[in-house]
Amino acid sequence: MSVLDRSTPPASGSLRDFSFPAVDRKELANGLDLRVARMNRLPMVNVSLFMRASEDALSSDRAGLAVLTADALEGGTKKRSGSELAESLERIGARVSASAGWEGTTVGISCLADRLPEAFAIMAEAVREPSFPEGEVRRALDQQLATIRQRQMDPGALATDSARAAYFAPDVPYVRAVDGTVASIEAMSRDTLRGYVEANYRPEGGGLVVVGDVEVDEVAEMVMTHFGDWTGSPSHVADFEVEPATTFRRVILVHRPGAVQSEVRIGHVGTSRSTPDYYPLSIANMVLGGMFTSRLNLNLREENGFTYGVRSRFTFRSSPGPFQISTAVGNDVTAPAVREAMSELTKMAEAGPTEDEVSAARDYAAGVFGLQLETSGQVATRVNQLLIYGLADDHYDRYRDDVRAVTADAAKAAAATHMRPMEAQIVVVGDAEVIGQPLEELALAPVQVVGAD
Amino acid sequence: MTLLSIDFERHRLDNGLKVVLAPDRTVPVVATNLWYGVGSRNEPAGKTGFAHLFEHMMFQGSAHVPKNRHFELIERVGGTLNATTWFDRTNYFETVPSHELDLCLWLESDRMGWMLPAMDQEKLDNQRDVVMNEKRQRYDNQPYGDWSERLQHLVYPEDHPYHHTVIGSMEDIEAATLDDVASFFETFYVPNNAVLTVAGDIDPAEALASIERYFGEIPAGAEVPPIPGRTELEHVIGGTVRDTVVSDVPLPRVIMAFRIPPYSSDAFATAEIARALLGMGRASRFYRHLVREQQIAKSVVTYAYPLMTGASMLLVWGTGYPGSDPAELESAMTRELEGLIDARQEEIDRAITLTETDLVRALERVADRADLLSMFDLYFDDPGRLNRELDRLRSVTLEDVRGFVDQQLGPDNRAILTYVPEDGR
Repeated sequence: MSVLDRSTPPASGSLRDFSFPAVDRKELANGLDLRVARMNRLPMVNVSLFMRASEDALSSDRAGLAVLTADALEGGTKKRSGSELAESLERIGARVSASAGWEGTTVGISCLADRLPEAFAIMAEAVREPSFPEGEVRRALDQQLATIRQRQMDPGALATDSARAAYFAPDVPYVRAVDGTVASIEAMSRDTLRGYVEANYRPEGGGLVVVGDVEVDEVAEMVMTHFGDWTGSPSHVADFEVEPATTFRRVILVHRPGAVQSEVRIGHVGTSRSTPDYYPLSIANMVLGGMFTSRLNLNLREENGFTYGVRSRFTFRSSPGPFQISTAVGNDVTAPAVREAMSELTKMAEAGPTEDEVSAARDYAAGVFGLQLETSGQVATRVNQLLIYGLADDHYDRYRDDVRAVTADAAKAAAATHMRPMEAQIVVVGDAEVIGQPLEELALAPVQVVGAD
Repeated sequence: MTLLSIDFERHRLDNGLKVVLAPDRTVPVVATNLWYGVGSRNEPAGKTGFAHLFEHMMFQGSAHVPKNRHFELIERVGGTLNATTWFDRTNYFETVPSHELDLCLWLESDRMGWMLPAMDQEKLDNQRDVVMNEKRQRYDNQPYGDWSERLQHLVYPEDHPYHHTVIGSMEDIEAATLDDVASFFETFYVPNNAVLTVAGDIDPAEALASIERYFGEIPAGAEVPPIPGRTELEHVIGGTVRDTVVSDVPLPRVIMAFRIPPYSSDAFATAEIARALLGMGRASRFYRHLVREQQIAKSVVTYAYPLMTGASMLLVWGTGYPGSDPAELESAMTRELEGLIDARQEEIDRAITLTETDLVRALERVADRADLLSMFDLYFDDPGRLNRELDRLRSVTLEDVRGFVDQQLGPDNRAILTYVPEDGR
């Protein structure tokens, strides 16, 4: 046997091609958009019902109502108490969940395929006939209030909440936490929730995504049985323009006495999912802070040991969400870490990524895409994105080609447009006595110290 | 039931490396997964946190792989990778498009065989800083961040290997030297102390030939030394022990733990069933009674640690609402624990049905399959145990559950850790 040459990486084997699962699509009479993808590796099925009952359509005095309503759905139906509902699902091994966010409300089922008819009937009952018993609503409300309180005392969550408030103008929904404020939640009652469901749990603009070991016709029949007479469109509709809080750079230091570490967020208003720069910007961001071998992580972690990790991210929504760098760093290195992060951001905005970096990021994005199509849940999440953001049916068939078509020039142009270090809001949660002066000395902007409530 | 039937084959190289191959050609993805039989339980006094720090050093390069190159190469092919350290083991894993299997084997074999030539003080200093920041971020700067350390101190005596945490102490992390790295590597990172599983789009014969090629020439090491300290332990604590912490936390929280027989014992299945009845799903007793009906807990958690050494641990925790009295929460939790004596067969049936779906879901990804196969091979010398998980749970009877409540959940076996918000809110 010859001695193995270990000095260079082995050559790749031959690439096995694969495609995104075929998606059958049917527009139902009531406006519900049905999409079914067949996957039969394992006898699992994943269902998600998406409705445009969204937080971004709510005024600030009703903030958190969509989230609270989704959480309270488990409280029971006109036919079953909350516990009976849970028992009937768990007896057949089904997991049902409901959650709401900026874009809408999703009710999901994950179960074995042969249990789908039963699970689907129960899910439909929960969506169409919720009873919102007084005690269950009270509980959901108290839980949400307690969660808000927990967030205020968690340094990472506090940093994210403070940063968001620094990015967006006060009347933009995205300025607030998605699950509302103490004042908005406290004002809600059983009647508020019932009224919300009546007006907003409607099929138009939404859809039903089913992925797994199922036949399309079988699903269509279930939908007709349980949702055939369900009609109408949500009455709350999003109507806002995203404006930044300011275009001047600021440094905001949220004082947390005795903190042993600083939570750092650096960002500003980003861009929407529909931006034509989606691919080049995603690639530029991967190079900046979207991979382990990103510039930020190699600098702050692998060279300097300032942090356990750092990342940057554009949150693409229907309207422009935040662009943000996040990390947590030791007290004594807080100022140097902020300096390095700002320096990487500035370099990326001014000069863009190199040809080689773009090529590595493209390869990563195109390769990892195929790895994330193994489970019915992963595929369902992707198909849901098509629905939520109105993307073309062949979006995922083209995905790898579109990623590979990104050039260094395009990535550079996207970075220059969408990364704006002069407008960065630098938010640090930490001990002002220890890190205030060094941050001031960076001379990025005057340091505004605020209390943590 | 035949739902859970993962095909696999086993091999053992001459140097002792155990190999599990689990082909599934339905998707062009392959997962490599290596479990080493070393974790925080192998750390002697003064070296706490070292197994985890060492895991970080494994990513700092090896003889033929410069620093950061491991990450670059895997990301370049669209792969994902990571590693984790726990009490009884450390695992390393990559998932890549299947035509890149050899890349993973090359990287993993290079650091198993030739890690030390690439080590230097600068890399160690850097990763010590990274790990100390990890400790601050995940534990020291977090409300309730010290809960595990406090609980382990209550449940395990000072000379037991589970007395100290996986992350370890700042002093010990700071004191780590390059000599420690070398001796740890030579002692534990030997092929005869590891399991390599490859799952996904492979031809088993070709995969085995590649594994032989990359790992075959790594020499076997000596037998791994015994775990330091006292490894035999009674399965009850011998009383009710408490720790009450007044600190900067948002909500009161009561964490109770009980010693239970180790994961390796037949009796462990009963603990899993008991914990499921208490807290798995929303029809479970804790959720139904404490969260939904009495509204005394905002949330509940139950968990049976799968630990191998001496005694394992069952954990239940409840988080209260602002201003609520932790003593009342504790009494309510205790009532539920004692009430389990009335468990009904339908509750067990429901728990098993739910576990079945969860298990099938957990096997959807080849990476998760590989991880479970490695675990069962390392811990039990029996990867096929994966296909018998449900039978193991189905054998638990109501009589077993009652006996468990009686023997393991009584006042002679309780560790109770209570967090009280310092401003009394």
